[in-house]
Amino acid sequence: MSIIETQDLTHIFPDGTVGIEQINLKINAGEFVIIAGANGSGKTVFARHLNGLLTPTKGQVLLDGQPITKNLIEARKKVGLVFQDPDRQFVGQTVAEEVAFGPENLNLPPAQVDSIVKASLALVGLSRFSHQSPRVLSGGLKRKLAIAGVLAMKPQIIILDEPFTGLDYPGVVQILQQILRLHAAGHTILLITHELEKVLAHAGRLVIFYQGRLVADGRPEAVVHGVERYGVRMPLRKGEEVKELSWLK
Amino acid sequence: MAEMTLFRYLHRDTVLHRMDGRLKLGSMLLLSVSASLAGALRHYLVLFCLLCIALRVAKLPWAALLKELKFFALIIWVVLSINATTIPGDPIPNLPLPGVTVQGVITGLRFAGRLINIILICVVTTGTTPLRTLRHVIEWCLRPLPFVPEVRIATMIQLTFALIPVLFIEFAEMSRAQKARCLEVRKNPIKRMYYTVLPFLEQTLHRTDQIVEAMEARGYSEIRTKAAFKSKTSDWLIFTLCLFVFLVIVFTKRG
Repeated sequence: MSIIETQDLTHIFPDGTVGIEQINLKINAGEFVIIAGANGSGKTVFARHLNGLLTPTKGQVLLDGQPITKNLIEARKKVGLVFQDPDRQFVGQTVAEEVAFGPENLNLPPAQVDSIVKASLALVGLSRFSHQSPRVLSGGLKRKLAIAGVLAMKPQIIILDEPFTGLDYPGVVQILQQILRLHAAGHTILLITHELEKVLAHAGRLVIFYQGRLVADGRPEAVVHGVERYGVRMPLRKGEEVKELSWLK
Repeated sequence: MAEMTLFRYLHRDTVLHRMDGRLKLGSMLLLSVSASLAGALRHYLVLFCLLCIALRVAKLPWAALLKELKFFALIIWVVLSINATTIPGDPIPNLPLPGVTVQGVITGLRFAGRLINIILICVVTTGTTPLRTLRHVIEWCLRPLPFVPEVRIATMIQLTFALIPVLFIEFAEMSRAQKARCLEVRKNPIKRMYYTVLPFLEQTLHRTDQIVEAMEARGYSEIRTKAAFKSKTSDWLIFTLCLFVFLVIVFTKRG
């Protein structure tokens, strides 16, 4: 059985704009899926539905076979969403406070919150920054902090919305290594990006969105050759193979 | 992004940073009331000295804080000038400035002393207390009150404190961006405001929306972890000292 599934998922905004339309997608536990598409293709709207932040106009999202609307808190615990701009999601004044926000929402005992915060920060290598303000961290470290904030909820699925945007080369490498560690640890990864050249070699599946519709889904080797017609840059150069598409050497 | 130090938590390992949040807030409340009640010069001096010692003990960065307090210096100067020239009384002998009265200067100085002490109280409190602790203390204080949504109020206060410095920085950044496109050339001040204040308000609302989404994404709930407070002897000693100062000011004022 798939860990998360969407059935005819449709979102139409109040002004009539179609965000996504009839998206049917099944994701199995432990998969590493890349969702690509041009700007405005509906990737972010789709991600927000998986975490229950948006309510579908039509269709539904099933988590472990159950509609996520049945228990939204449980859905948000299981499906961690890392936003595109971490600066805009920080609610804590220090790094530790930021990570503690999620576990405190779950009403865990204070001692357990502290140990989760320590463990989450250690996982992403941010322990020594725990008393600093999140806003003074570098771009790469801010992304790591956003990931730590999500990890503190102990999610099974982690959705990363454009995690490489605005990062320099070392920042991309840091985040990519972190994502691979999370995948190796058993998390299901959904990575939204249009920068396929940075990461495609590590994914098991590539899904393409175009104008709010899911237009391609399959092994990266099979799907990648048609991406340009959907507004995504063809990452392969002549003679190059998908397994070479990574910024990790 | 350059970081403001004023009214922000600055982590250090000091007795004030480790102090029980409830007693710290209680102490600061006592000092704030003392600052409001203070009438004589000795009252202001006692409070000022106590707060300077607190700043020193908390190892807060003096130089950076003084630099950022420039804005308040301007307010103090304006209020002092207005008081000195508008309050009727005896003119100061041999002063070339017309209209300045002794009573006006004294009233202005009183206001300045009060404001300086209150700013220092805020600096010490915010510099040594993480917002999370502040939120827990507010929740703890409001919990016994019926029909008061203590968690919601505490979260609102926490978010306000967290967002104010960020919004200041964003407003400055937006103003710079508009200046870079020669906004200053426009003569009409209303038009100038239109191009800075309105986009800023729009951005603030947008940012608020994003924060709400981010909080929801991590399952924000009003049934949250409650803090476990612990108070030490040193915390009670600091509280007792503040209570003593408060009582001295109250009784000497009455006397």
